[in-house]
Amino acid sequence: MPKHNNDRLQGTLDLLVLKILDRSGAQHGYAIAQRIHQATSDSLRIEEGSLYPALQRMTHEKWLKAQWGTTDSGRKARFYTITAAGRRQLDEEERRWLTLTDAVNKALRFA
Amino acid sequence: MSPLRRLWNVLRRDRLDDELRQEVDTHLALIEEEERANGAGAQATRQARARFGSPLVHRERALDGVMAMSVENIWKEAGFAARRLVRSPAFSVAAVLTLALAIGANAAIFAVVQRVLLNPLPYPDSDRLVDVDHGSQRLNLPSGLGITRGYYYQYLERSHTLDGIALYAAENATLTGDGEPERIRTTRATASLATVLRVGPAIGRWFSEDEGQPGGPQRVVLSHGLWIRRYGGDPGILGRTINLGGVSMDVIGVMPQGFAFPDPRVDAWTPQQITRSMGFGIWLYGAVARLRDGVTVADARTEMNTLIADITRAFPGDEFAAGNSAGIALFSTVRTLKEAMVGAVARALWILLVSVGLVLLVACANVANLFLVRSDARQREVAVRVALGAGRSGIARYFLAESVLLSVAGGALGLAIACGAVRLVVSAGPATLPRLAEIRVDGVAVAYTLFLSVVTAFVFGAIPLWRSIPLGPALNESGRGNTATRSRHHARRLLMGGQVALALTLLIASGLMVRSFQKMRDVDPGFNPDSVLTFRIGLPDRAYPTRAAAVAAHLAILDRLAALPGVVAVSASSGLPLGSGCMGNTLLVQNRPIPPGTTPPIARFCAVAGGYFEAMGMRLLGGRRITRDDVERSLPVVVVNEALAKRVFPNQNPLGQYVSSNAPPARAEGAPGPTPLEIVGVVSNTPSRSLAEPDAASQLYMPMSIAGGPGIPPTALLGPDVALMAFVVRSSTPPSALLPSVRGAVSLVDPKLALALVTTLQAMVDSASAQMAFTMVLLAVAAGVALMLGVIGIYGVMSYIVSQRTAEIGVRLALGAEPRSVAAMILRQGGAVAVAGAVVGLVAAFAGSRLIASLLFGISPHDPAVFAATTVLLLIVAALACWLPARGAARLSPVEALRAD
Repeated sequence: MPKHNNDRLQGTLDLLVLKILDRSGAQHGYAIAQRIHQATSDSLRIEEGSLYPALQRMTHEKWLKAQWGTTDSGRKARFYTITAAGRRQLDEEERRWLTLTDAVNKALRFA
Repeated sequence: MSPLRRLWNVLRRDRLDDELRQEVDTHLALIEEEERANGAGAQATRQARARFGSPLVHRERALDGVMAMSVENIWKEAGFAARRLVRSPAFSVAAVLTLALAIGANAAIFAVVQRVLLNPLPYPDSDRLVDVDHGSQRLNLPSGLGITRGYYYQYLERSHTLDGIALYAAENATLTGDGEPERIRTTRATASLATVLRVGPAIGRWFSEDEGQPGGPQRVVLSHGLWIRRYGGDPGILGRTINLGGVSMDVIGVMPQGFAFPDPRVDAWTPQQITRSMGFGIWLYGAVARLRDGVTVADARTEMNTLIADITRAFPGDEFAAGNSAGIALFSTVRTLKEAMVGAVARALWILLVSVGLVLLVACANVANLFLVRSDARQREVAVRVALGAGRSGIARYFLAESVLLSVAGGALGLAIACGAVRLVVSAGPATLPRLAEIRVDGVAVAYTLFLSVVTAFVFGAIPLWRSIPLGPALNESGRGNTATRSRHHARRLLMGGQVALALTLLIASGLMVRSFQKMRDVDPGFNPDSVLTFRIGLPDRAYPTRAAAVAAHLAILDRLAALPGVVAVSASSGLPLGSGCMGNTLLVQNRPIPPGTTPPIARFCAVAGGYFEAMGMRLLGGRRITRDDVERSLPVVVVNEALAKRVFPNQNPLGQYVSSNAPPARAEGAPGPTPLEIVGVVSNTPSRSLAEPDAASQLYMPMSIAGGPGIPPTALLGPDVALMAFVVRSSTPPSALLPSVRGAVSLVDPKLALALVTTLQAMVDSASAQMAFTMVLLAVAAGVALMLGVIGIYGVMSYIVSQRTAEIGVRLALGAEPRSVAAMILRQGGAVAVAGAVVGLVAAFAGSRLIASLLFGISPHDPAVFAATTVLLLIVAALACWLPARGAARLSPVEALRAD
């Protein structure tokens, strides 16, 4: 069963990773980190290592599929792709995120 | 993630960690490259660390997360499943009990098979050991001749396929000193026995080659059992002298516990003191050999047959060698020792293992059916889960968690049942089963049970699964009065029919065994076994050196016994029915030459005291009996049994004919053969080895005073050795109560004599059918359990179908259907499935019963009466199981039925 995680930062990270993989196809951890930096214009600085607990967890939830391959520079790395379940989860997380931000925005506007 | 996968994750944390480390290292290296490209230079490594954070911390967090998910979910899932099961106790108890019964039966039979069949011999590399036996076409003996000294030396000296061979002969001897005289079983063996079997004494040593030479020092090695029983396990026994059969012997060793060669009853081993110069000899011995590496039994047999053809060259001029090879069409029947020991019971045990396997299948079908009912009842719950996004694996977990829990509980309870059942088998099993006493539920059996539990969990857990997914439309079925779909009933009927078929197959098998057993018990043994005490007395050669002395001692004992109060009749014979002690030999009829190329008949020669037929209750069919007078006057007379009379004297009056035992083969011309004996009477047949003999053996009884014995060379071939006689004491009081006074009477004649093999004739008859009784009881239990489970299964399915159709039945009743016709409708439905199952079962039994044909006695494996009776029984029971729910349906009140659901 999908678990609900109330840790907002972790939820956000999941959302970003899923979104990136949904857009781009198979990526290894370093590339995912670079894309997060690019996409957020370096405004969301996270320790790149904290990607790994998230990747592991999402792989075990079967949202991601991991496969060993080699990088352009010939290093062994694990490449992640998003699964159908991952896409459903992405929709869910996106919807939740929008609901949340919408609610917070409203609250900020009318409070 | 499946539960197994999760368990796997927990077990392979290290491997996961290695993978993660590799991944993280790559990442760090890539950051470093990037930093270096941006001109960080020597700072690159530090920069990478700063951007990545602590690799150790992140790795640990990643792993912990996965582990926690795995462990937590396993427990959570198990906990949820347990709670669900507890909420429906009837279902859970029924499922656990069903599984426990079936798994327990399987574990118990497996424990027996494991010990008795897979691992019967407690010797290293025991699969290389062979029993060196011979058969003869001319003597009409397919096997069982044993071996002679001549062939022992022939194989010892010339065989290239054997890595050692040992000769042995079982005997009985009286052990005196240190308490009551005791008749014990000994085995004379060559010194090579220990090296062939690769087993040495627990304490002390085994015989040396010197001690195996004629005239060598007298030594004895004790069994562990005798050492404990008689000498209290005293290690000081080594070097002490004991008196065995009137001979003083030094105890040089004690064999380890469980060493039981050639059988578990042996108490001591003495050296077989022989040498090649003693000549070819006669068939007195058994032999065991070890095959060289890479040699097959067939290779050894081929080589031995070559060596047999060459025996006259190895023993030139030896008349026994000349007469015991090509002349009697001798051939080697060498086979593995395991086959020799367990061949007879192997088939019975494998069949039992298959039977309990079938019971397990029935049990699985039953539990699967229960599961189906449950899963149907929970269609909506499952459908909701699917709608909420649970995938296939989520639903699989949901059902598998329950089935695994049930199986594990069933397995644990089954193990307890198996422990009890094994104890029962050990106490009730036939004593001839090797290693019977060692059977226990050990680690291997526990592993097997565990394996069965897991397999059953998946078998019955998978069935509702395969049926529950996909579940898309299930939510639509929310209206009232809906009925289960056709396919769902189809699966359930299939399971029910399968149960019926399996149960009927087992019922027929056990029915055939029961009939065989009855027929065996109905066999007329030719004597009256009621209230007869029997025991053996062996006279040591030292104290009774001549046949006359032995006969006189036996007569004195008989006189004392006859005078005891309560004794009705008393006599003795060298061999009793269903036992050994009679000498098998060819029979020559006077004035009837043997046409060249034909085989003379074979008969069992028994030596008896006067009044033997009266004491045994054997019927006299013609002529007269052997009397005390015949014995005292050593008259050359014999009484033959009916089988011999019919076989040897067809259409002829045997009375007044003269017969003799075969003269030694190729005996020098002119030497006098044994005295011809006049046939004076014909008595009823008695079984010689088993009650299941298709034809009675030809048997011949002579006064003990003219048979073989001390001082008479065995080559004279007069008759069995009368030093060892079996006494029969018929009494008007219970035989067991008579025993103390019998012992007293014997010791009045000679206090050094011991009573051996004390039992009753009835017990001997019982034990002759013990193996069949054993197989029969176990098969009957298996069939009974299968029938019971089958009935429960049918009842469950029919009740469920009725409950599902309650609304429909209500409509029918409301529209005016007769309650009787409603009941008939339900009954018809169940009956059709039961009949279909029965037909399949009949076909399976018809095809499969040939497999048990060798276990049957006096009955065809396709006995129509058994097939008919068991089928009728099954159908009646099945009809009852259908009728109860059908009656329930008929009694429904239409109003309530329509309100239902």
